[in-house]
Amino acid sequence: MNSVGEGCTDLKREYDQCFNRWFAEKFLKGDRSGDPCTEMFKKYQHCVQKAIKEKDIPIDGVEFMGPNKDKP
Amino acid sequence: SSVATMEHIYYHPWETVTKAAMQKYPNPMNPGVVGVDVLNRHVDTQGRLCSNRLLSTEWGLPSLAKTLIGITRTNTYIQENSVVDPKEKTFELQSSNISCTNIVSVDEKLTYRPHPQDPQKTILTQEALISVKGISLSSYLEGLMAKTISANAGKGREAMEWVIRRLNTEIEELAATAQATIRIPMAAAVTEK
Repeated sequence: MNSVGEGCTDLKREYDQCFNRWFAEKFLKGDRSGDPCTEMFKKYQHCVQKAIKEKDIPIDGVEFMGPNKDKP
Repeated sequence: SSVATMEHIYYHPWETVTKAAMQKYPNPMNPGVVGVDVLNRHVDTQGRLCSNRLLSTEWGLPSLAKTLIGITRTNTYIQENSVVDPKEKTFELQSSNISCTNIVSVDEKLTYRPHPQDPQKTILTQEALISVKGISLSSYLEGLMAKTISANAGKGREAMEWVIRRLNTEIEELAATAQATIRIPMAAAVTEK
C-alpha cells in the first residue's frame, strides 16, 4: 500500500511492519510494555505532513502529536 | 439525509477480525483505495489505541455526474478515526470524506465486537449517514449514494475475508517453512552415507 506522499512509501511500510507486529503480539494480548515503533513513526509522520501541505489536502483538526501524548 | 444500519457476523474471533481490519488495504475488492496513512496514533489513559488515518481514493465518476457535482479531480480523501479497546474487545471506526466544497458528505461508523453467544464469532455493526446539501438533485444523489454504500458493504465483507485468508496463509507458510528447515539436515545426513 502506498502513502499519499510518493516519497514516504518506504517509511510507511517500515512503520506498518513494526506496528502490525506490536499490535498483534503485544497490544491485543494486553502487554502494555513500550512501543518499539516511536522513532520510525516520527520519521514517517514528518514526511506525510510535508506531503499533505504540498498537496493542499484539507485535513480536519489534526494536531500532529507524538504517539505518547494523551488527549484530555 | 439518511441512515442505513447493517449487521454482519464473521465466523472468526474478534482478534483475527481486528488485525485484518487494521490491515484492510490493499485488497482486490477495493481497488479505488490508493493510499493509507497514519496521521496520528496513541494509547490513551484507558489503554485504548486511538488512530487517525487518511485514506486516498481514486474513483471513476461518469463525466455527466462530474459536471453536475462540480468535481474536477477524481481524488477523494477519507479521514478515519478508530479506537481499539483490548479489554472491552471493541474496535470502532468512524470515517468521513473530506472535500473542499462539502456538497456530499458520507459518515460511516463500524463497530466490531465478539459475538455475545459465541467467542469464535465477531459481530460488525455498520451505520452510514449520508447528507447532500446545496443542489436540487439532492434526493436523487442521496439515493445513488445509499445504493452504492449497500453494494459496497458486501464488498467490504468480502475484502475482510480476503485479508483474513491472507493472514492465515502467511502463518501456515511460516509453519511449513519451519518444518522444511528441520527436514533438510536429516535428508542431507542420509545421502552423505
